[in-house]
Amino acid sequence: MSEAQLETALTGREAPGDLAIEIRELTTRGMIDLRGDAGDGKFMAAAKDVLGLDLPTAPRTSAAWGEVQALWLSPDQWLILCPRARTEELLAALRQALAQIHSFAVDVSDMRTIIRLEGHAARSVLLKGCSLDLLSPDYAAGTVRRLRFAEIAALLHIVSERPDVLDLYVFRSYADYAWEWFLANGRAVAAIQPFGQQAVPAV
Amino acid sequence: MLINCPYCGPRPSEEFTQLGDATVQRPASNDPKTMDQWFDYVYLRDNPKGRFKEYWHHGGGCRSWLVVERDTQTHEIFGVTTARDFAQDQKKGKV
Repeated sequence: MSEAQLETALTGREAPGDLAIEIRELTTRGMIDLRGDAGDGKFMAAAKDVLGLDLPTAPRTSAAWGEVQALWLSPDQWLILCPRARTEELLAALRQALAQIHSFAVDVSDMRTIIRLEGHAARSVLLKGCSLDLLSPDYAAGTVRRLRFAEIAALLHIVSERPDVLDLYVFRSYADYAWEWFLANGRAVAAIQPFGQQAVPAV
Repeated sequence: MLINCPYCGPRPSEEFTQLGDATVQRPASNDPKTMDQWFDYVYLRDNPKGRFKEYWHHGGGCRSWLVVERDTQTHEIFGVTTARDFAQDQKKGKV
């Protein structure tokens, strides 16, 4: 009998060294899709019991407790991040805690591929493919939002600033496309001056 | 055209899809005598020139249903509310 082995969408891909940013795939992260009514105190308390954090209710925010993170996706939906090895355990605990509450939790670890962008040019490169005002102070560390990136649906999580670390979540079937997009567009970063006097962040 | 989503802030219309008139109301009765009302509800739509309230879905963002009041001639946007709030206002007879 052969052993089943986990193979992510971008297994074996390595970014060339001459890109303006560093990109790599995050392979060890588990993801749980959690939905429920944010106005229901019982639901929020049960989620907090299991995850150790208050689910963020403010749009476009995230929360973290140790190795567990919760990203706001919509007013009643969150993406829970944890180490891949802990996903099953966490999911079982969530389901047990939420058994009597109108809600659902599903393991979606293999639904999306995570591409991590690092380096001072990360925002400028991403700007070539989306219409967010990534240079504005709104996009501080911890910000999460869904967007149209290079014509596909994506989820952006700003992990940290200076140095910039951005996680881009794309659906697995688009992983190849997104990766190739970065290889094609990540080489030279033009100084982006969208309108008027807007300055590009200092390098 | 920018739509000021209550959750995501001002976003370009490419992120949204439009459904249509938000003001039509489903008839309360299933009585066959109300067939005319049902016909209106299912098939008849106005195509106004000017202010118009319509449903928009923010598929490229928070995936919420919104009610956007806009001018069909100039694309000026007068207001955006969530479909939930709109429905509650409708029930109270405010809209």
